[in-house]
Order: sequence, then C-alpha cells, then structure tokens
Amino acid sequence: MADDPITVENLRLEYRVPRHRSNSFKETAVRIVRRGIQFDRLLAVNDVSFGVAQGEVLGIVGPNGAGKSTLMKVLARVLPPTSGRVRVRGRVSPLIELGAGFNFEQTARENIVLNGALLGRDAKVMKHRCLPIVDWAGLTDYLDVPVRTFSSGMVARLAFAIAVDVEPDILLIDEILAVGDEAFKKKSAERLDDLINGGAAGVLVSHQMTQVVERCARAIWLDRGRVRMTGEPLEVTEAYAASVQEDFEQAHAD
Amino acid sequence: MKEPGSHDQLYDSAVRITPLRGSLVDLWRYRALIRLLVGRDLTVRYKRSILGVGWTILNPLLSSLVMWLVFSHLLHSQIPGNIPFLVYLLSGVLAVSYFQQGVGTAAGSLVASASFLTKVYVPPAIFAFSSACSGAVNFLLGLIPLFVFQLVLGVGIFPGAVLIPLPLAFLLAMIAGCGLLLSTYAIRFDDMLNFLNNVVLVLIFYLTPVFYPITIVPARYQRLFYLNPMYSYLRIFRFLEYGGTSPSLLNYAVVGVTGAVGFVLGLSVFVRRWPYVAALL
Repeated sequence: MADDPITVENLRLEYRVPRHRSNSFKETAVRIVRRGIQFDRLLAVNDVSFGVAQGEVLGIVGPNGAGKSTLMKVLARVLPPTSGRVRVRGRVSPLIELGAGFNFEQTARENIVLNGALLGRDAKVMKHRCLPIVDWAGLTDYLDVPVRTFSSGMVARLAFAIAVDVEPDILLIDEILAVGDEAFKKKSAERLDDLINGGAAGVLVSHQMTQVVERCARAIWLDRGRVRMTGEPLEVTEAYAASVQEDFEQAHAD
Repeated sequence: MKEPGSHDQLYDSAVRITPLRGSLVDLWRYRALIRLLVGRDLTVRYKRSILGVGWTILNPLLSSLVMWLVFSHLLHSQIPGNIPFLVYLLSGVLAVSYFQQGVGTAAGSLVASASFLTKVYVPPAIFAFSSACSGAVNFLLGLIPLFVFQLVLGVGIFPGAVLIPLPLAFLLAMIAGCGLLLSTYAIRFDDMLNFLNNVVLVLIFYLTPVFYPITIVPARYQRLFYLNPMYSYLRIFRFLEYGGTSPSLLNYAVVGVTGAVGFVLGLSVFVRRWPYVAALL
C-alpha cells in the first residue's frame, strides 16, 4: 500500500470562505475597519482515503460540487491538505484543461520548451523533443508557427502530445479523452493505454459513465466531499446513475 | 525531494518543510524556468509590432521627452550639478518605471498564470519573481539610450556605472517582495490591481524626484523623502550613472534594508497566504 504511486489517507480539505463574499478591496477595507472579517468553513473533501497502484486507473464520479476537482488539485500538489496525508510518487502529468499554459503569441517550439519546463523537465532535453512532439501531434509543418493561428483542435493535440511525452508516472485526467478528430482520439487512447500498461497510475474524473467503466479498475463515488461508495466501476456508476435518476424524479414529483 | 520532474520524486504532504526555505530552494531549482519566462516576457510583449524589443528602449525615452516638453522651462535651471534636464529625467523615469511596472506585473502575475497554476505544481512565487527579473533586464536595456544621451550632451559616463548591478539587485529583490506580498491580495480582491496601478504606483512616481529636484521642497520637509525607498534607489543610480549628488549613508542603508527585508518579508507572507488564496483562483 505504502509503495503505491498514490496514497491518500483521511484527506480533509477545508476552504475558508469569507462570510461577506465581497471581491472588492475597498469594500472589504471598510468592513475590516468596522468589525473584522468572519470566515465560514467549507469542507470540500471530507475524510477520503484511497490508493492507486501501478498500472491502475481509478475513476471518480459524482455531481458538481462533490469535491472531485478539489481532490485533483490536492493530488497535483496545488492545494495542501487541511489534514490527512497524501503521497504521490513520480512524475505527474495533468491532462486537465489542455493548453492552459500556452502563450498564443509564441510558436509551437517555444511553447513546447516552456511547457516542458513548467512540467519540471529540463529545457535542454525539451529542445530535442520538439520535433518528436509535433510529429506525434501531426503538426510537423507548424513547429515555428505562432500558436494563435492554430485551431482549437490543433492546440489540444499539441498540449496532449507534450503531456504524454514526459513519460508520466501519474496521470491526472479530467474529461479530456476526446481530443481532436477520430484518428487522433484513437491514437491518444492508445498512448494512454501504453502508459498505463507500462506502469503509470491514473486518476480519471468523468461524467461519462462508459469511460469510467471502460478505463478504470476501480471507481469512487464522491458526494459532498465524502466517499459514498467505492468498488467495481460498473456497480459504482450504476448506483450513482440510479441516484441521479431518483433525485430527478423526486424533483419533478414535487 | 529530488529534482523537479524526476521519476523518483516523492510528494508527501506530511513532510513539512519550512515554507520560506522551501521556496528559496524552489527558486534556485527552477532557475531554468525563470530564464525562459523572462525571455518570453521580453519578446512577446512587442512581438507583433515592427520595432519589436526596440519599444522597451523607446518607451522611457518617449515619456521623458513628454516631461521634458512640459517641464523644461519650469525646472531645468534647478537641476543639481548642471546636468542636462533630459538626462536627469531619463534616469529618473528608468528607475521609477521599473518599480511601477515591476510591482504591477509581479502583483498580477499569479492571476495571469492562474489557469496553469491550479493544474500542476510549479512554485507559484516563480511567476512574480520572473516578472521582477524581466523588469531588471528592461532597466539594463534602458541604460543604453541614457548613456548615449550622456555622451552626446557632454556629461560622459561615470566610472561608477559598472557598479549599477548592485543597487539594481536590491531593487529587484524589493520589487519581487512587494509583488509577492500584493499578489495574494490581487487574487482575493478583483479591484486591487486597479487601485495599485492607478493610485498607489502613480503616487509613488510623483513622490519620487523624477522630474523635479528635491530642493524645490522646503528644507525642513526634505528628510521626508527617506520614507520613500525609491528616492534612495534613484539617488544611488544617478550617482553611479553620471556622478550625480553623492548619496548619504542613510540612502545606502535604506536600499540595503528595503532590498533584503522587503524580499524576505514579501516571500514569507506569500508562502503563508498562498494555501488560502490558491483555493480562490
């Protein structure tokens, strides 16, 4: 267990939300002078534990606001846990909102080097990876073209190619398995399979139940920050879908 | 923890490193990334214009010319040491606009990089720090036209100019510190950056003797200039650039203290507040 690429023990993450939710600096300054700011505490992730072994993908399902994205941020080391313990071993590659780090004025080559460095890779190594990456993305002719001229599909393909080029040990995937055209979708799905079969560990957040069932070894159903169910992907997704249906019918019966 | 991006690195949330030391180590470890970000800042801003990076050099020159047109009749005779007004202006504009732009962009850097920062771990302080570094490079480029004017207008270049990188390093540290300190508040409050850029930094520009000599202020108030660190930085720069009025010991002390303390204070406030504001990005 402790040697798993990802272990999460009794994770809790609490947000401090200002009670008077004002984003105005001047307004808040006035309020501080009057009587200080009060904070509400919001438990986004509450006592969650799991592990992901090498070569395994864990699926996470649940309604909006269940804490899925927060959990991903904790795994990506962006948010520190309020309590509990998270261990992540190896190189992490986020397949979340592809192209987030791109600068559209820069060429594909410049973006590859910078994006690689943001992912923790050596800039010198990245310079040699430019060609293989654009080749893989099918963008060989666009290496020295500013990214602003790319279509959104091309941007996503380039971003995906960079993310999987780093030979990640940990894949954090948020709904993005459908990038580009059919041929590229097939190619990227194969690449993900290769990485997983090669020993990478993955966490997949998805609202598409078929994806979770097809790709994951296990699944977790998160509800208001808590684990409501964990087990076989088919069982978990069916239980979740049934509860969604039930809520829907109840809402309409009222 | 091993090098960033290596396969055997381990993130363990239970291992608590001192935030301040940890982030200093991070700045060093990600120095290649800082260099790339600085290079991007310098080239991207003017990429679509014909003059390109030339604007970096032209901008302070143009704003100095505007001030020269407006104020030359009023103030030129009062500049200490018979220094041409344009040289006096340009050296002032260089230093103070570095402060204005540096603090402004560093404070806004986290908001600007939010889409990436919330997805993957990059030491967040890097974005503010690299903004301050880009400004320092702009400052050094801006010295070129200043020195050209000094030569053309017969002032010459003071040998002390070789020491300019020293106070510049302290200024960089202070700007990075201020930017880091403010950046977390810029995430929390939408109108903070607006207030900073349009009120606070404009005020600092006018409170620094950029286009006027401090002698136009009554003698008993002149000591108040020491409360504005930019006054001390500027005096040292002017001394090193063209042999302007020799700085006082207090000027050197202000520069040393604001550079060192400003950076450490800004960074430590930043690392303490970051976990709370990261959730808001």
